[in-house]
Amino acid sequence: MGLITPIFLLGLLGIALPWWLHRLETQTTEREKFSTTRFLEASRRRIHVQKKLKYLLLMVLRMAFLALLAFAFARPVLFDEPDLAVNEDAIHHIIVMDTSFSMRTAGHLDIARQLASDILDDMSDDDIVSLYTASSNVQTISEATNDPDEIRALLDSIETDNGHLDLGIMVSSLNGMVEQNQARMTLHLISDFQQSGQAVRFADMIPDVINGRPLTLDVRQVELQELVNSTVEAVVTENRNTVIASIRTFGEPSTSLTRTATLTVNGVAMAEQDLAISGNGIVTVQFNNVVFEEGDNRVDVSLSPADSLPEDDIRHTVFDNSPPAPVLLLTDNPDSLGVTYLSAALETAPRGYEVEVVNVSDFDPRIMQRYPWLVIEDLGVINSGLESAVRDYINGGGSVFAGMGPRAAGLATVPVLGIPFAQPSTGPNGRPINLPITRIDNTHQALNDSGGWASVNARVFRPELEDEDRVLISQNAANPVLLERNIGAGRMLWLTTSLDNSTSDLPVKPVFVSFMSEVARYLSNEKLLVKEQLADSYLQLTQTGGASGQVVDPDGISLLSLQDTTSAQDVLLNKTGYYQVFTPAGEVLVAVNPDIRESDLTLMPAQALQNWQNIVAGTAPGEASIVSLAEDREAEPVEIEIWRVFLILLALMVLAESLLGNRYLNLKTGSL
Amino acid sequence: MASAAPKQNPMHLLHPSVLASLSNLELVAKGVVEGFVIGLHRSPKFGFSQEFVEYRAYGEGDDPRYIDWNVFARTGKTYIKRFLGETNSHLMIMLDSSASMGFGSQGVTKLQVGKYLGASLAYMSSRQHDAVGVMVFADEIKEYRPPASRSGSLQGVIHALDSAQPEQGTALNKPMARFQEHIKRRGLVAVISDFYCDTEELLENVRPLAMQGQDVILFHLLDPAEMNPDIKQSTLYEDMETGHAIEVSPVFMNREYKARIKTHIDAIEEAASGMNADHVLINTGEPLEKALHSYLTFREKRG
Repeated sequence: MGLITPIFLLGLLGIALPWWLHRLETQTTEREKFSTTRFLEASRRRIHVQKKLKYLLLMVLRMAFLALLAFAFARPVLFDEPDLAVNEDAIHHIIVMDTSFSMRTAGHLDIARQLASDILDDMSDDDIVSLYTASSNVQTISEATNDPDEIRALLDSIETDNGHLDLGIMVSSLNGMVEQNQARMTLHLISDFQQSGQAVRFADMIPDVINGRPLTLDVRQVELQELVNSTVEAVVTENRNTVIASIRTFGEPSTSLTRTATLTVNGVAMAEQDLAISGNGIVTVQFNNVVFEEGDNRVDVSLSPADSLPEDDIRHTVFDNSPPAPVLLLTDNPDSLGVTYLSAALETAPRGYEVEVVNVSDFDPRIMQRYPWLVIEDLGVINSGLESAVRDYINGGGSVFAGMGPRAAGLATVPVLGIPFAQPSTGPNGRPINLPITRIDNTHQALNDSGGWASVNARVFRPELEDEDRVLISQNAANPVLLERNIGAGRMLWLTTSLDNSTSDLPVKPVFVSFMSEVARYLSNEKLLVKEQLADSYLQLTQTGGASGQVVDPDGISLLSLQDTTSAQDVLLNKTGYYQVFTPAGEVLVAVNPDIRESDLTLMPAQALQNWQNIVAGTAPGEASIVSLAEDREAEPVEIEIWRVFLILLALMVLAESLLGNRYLNLKTGSL
Repeated sequence: MASAAPKQNPMHLLHPSVLASLSNLELVAKGVVEGFVIGLHRSPKFGFSQEFVEYRAYGEGDDPRYIDWNVFARTGKTYIKRFLGETNSHLMIMLDSSASMGFGSQGVTKLQVGKYLGASLAYMSSRQHDAVGVMVFADEIKEYRPPASRSGSLQGVIHALDSAQPEQGTALNKPMARFQEHIKRRGLVAVISDFYCDTEELLENVRPLAMQGQDVILFHLLDPAEMNPDIKQSTLYEDMETGHAIEVSPVFMNREYKARIKTHIDAIEEAASGMNADHVLINTGEPLEKALHSYLTFREKRG
């Protein structure tokens, strides 16, 4: 056993403290009758040093407690011999095989298996080997073993996946995964070594030390020639009938290539287009007059004939062709500028909304229940009867977005909310002034895209806020611009300025469109699910409206058990294609595609690979030092810290000391 | 051959702890005196024989039992016989029964020792046909019996002594004033107390007795724990008379207190000497021999 920080053993001096304390006796006064006190004189309480120690067991416990504390801080370690006894001349071969998406390139995986097999063939009898795969993450296939045949058998079971390999992440992941032993280490990396797989910092790729152990790097590349590869980089749907696909080619083809792009919607081939590819770059293909079904559509654009990496010749996307959602807009003037601005913003939102403008004079409050949310252009137009109906609507779970225009100017309190107005901010001439926006609560869902608010100037009403009012946007501490209040089961979001161009320039600012889109999505409780994901990423089920529902992968397999349908927080999307997410609100499609960087088969320059190995070799110890290192390692077996054991003993000591001390205390109390 | 049993010093019978085992105070007194007398050499001065010495005219207060009725028959006058060792005196025992007298560390309190001493003195005087009286006092007079040599007066004195209980404080003025009021004859006054009072107060109250011609002997009773305390730890002492409590340290008790109590004893002794009284310091942990010796010596001196 040894100590990492023996300086803390000075704390052992502390055990003298209980020894000294147990020699001290605070005089316990005993009351006795005496004939007379006329000759006596009161004395001060004194502490005497006893020759005899009292409460020996308690003292021993306390001394042991302090001693254990000092030892715990000194971090005691046990030296243990490594489990796997190996010869000091043996080498630990760490084989890491790239299984990322790019390794699906024809023949690459077989070559990788052969390269690994070659390493196994070259092993000496004393060598040991362990096997890992690397893609988005590093997985252990086999711990260290001296049986190459065992590893050879495992090689055949290795398959490629859809992940992206980052060499920097791979190297850092190996730290902590590699088993400790006394052998020298050689890291064999078998990969296509795409240029896109390089770490941002080259230093991250230097595996000179794994778990503090020196090693050498052996880079084995499965492909030495640059391959040309084309892929569908993006697919965009416009105007509900046009599909535009971006075709990207990596590498310089020796001759012009002709590829055919095919549009498939919901499994039905809709159109084909030929395109000529002559060099590195992007070519777009447009498919017009495409007819989509209502709801989510599976839109695939594929390329043919197959190239070097055929798996990336298809791109999956989802187009939501749901009809525009109806939105009720209450106003006293359907022809006002505010109505125009609001309608334009909502109808051009990505989701698409159909604004139904209703004059409050013709409004039947009963129809409010048909809408999940509604817009009130100016809260001032709400009369008392309608105010009560709106309040009931919100209490019942509805949501309202409202502005405060000129009609609200004559009111004493804010309609629906009932809070009074304060004096507005005025300028030197005593007139209300416009002020810029200075504070935005970016954490609110309706303000995720908050850029552009700084340019908005507005003259605002100043309501006297209550505790339940949440200020989302303000000009200063006294001038809120956007507020939210939860009322019953619903909520109300309101601007303290107008939605026309009279007291605010917000409606004519670009931010207004995105803001109304976010507001609409927030108030209608639409899901924030991203319908396009990368392979090997995680689908956050909370974005689908709560951790309830089922996820079916592209092969039609349900991923969640019955219990997980109510508790799972995320699902790994390890396949490409369409995942069906079933939620209480309905079915949602999620398209999964491989990382576009995997399609770039451009290789790391040979010189870079050589430099990489040289740098690693430069950091490894020389031959002589390796031998001495091996000897050192024999002299320095693995350290196992045991301070936790001391902490457990400390806890037991404290418990025993408390019980024993309490017992003495009780005895003393009883004797008085 | 059986060895002879070791001869035991009869003085051990006078040890207070032995006497405490006897419940009958008269028996205690008898035992003390008999045991004490056994240890004495015969002396005409201290004899208690019934040897006739002379006749004396009968006077008021004389025990009528000693009237020689033969002489009366012949002469028609009353004469009483006088014997050797008889001094025709009286003894007044004044026993302090204040609360402080209730202190005792040896299994016997100062008051008990005082009772033994008083009873022994009374018994001894009674055998010499002296009139014996008793006054038990604390800060008030608790019991008073004037000196008498009548038959049964001894039992009365002993009963008065026996019924004394430690209570209240010490005040010498009232018993002394009462004594001066009622006792005009010259005699012996034995004051048995721990004398926890001011020296001035003692002088003020006892001096008039001496001036009156009384022969005063002060039996100063102190417990061994009062004279030589030996405590190991700080102790809270509660005054038995006042209830006032003081916490004292062993250091003080073992040094300073001893000096103070010695000064007090010396002061009492000096005061007694100043008024021609005897002062006998009695350690209640020791036999009563010393006290009885002092008494007889005192009697001899005073004739």
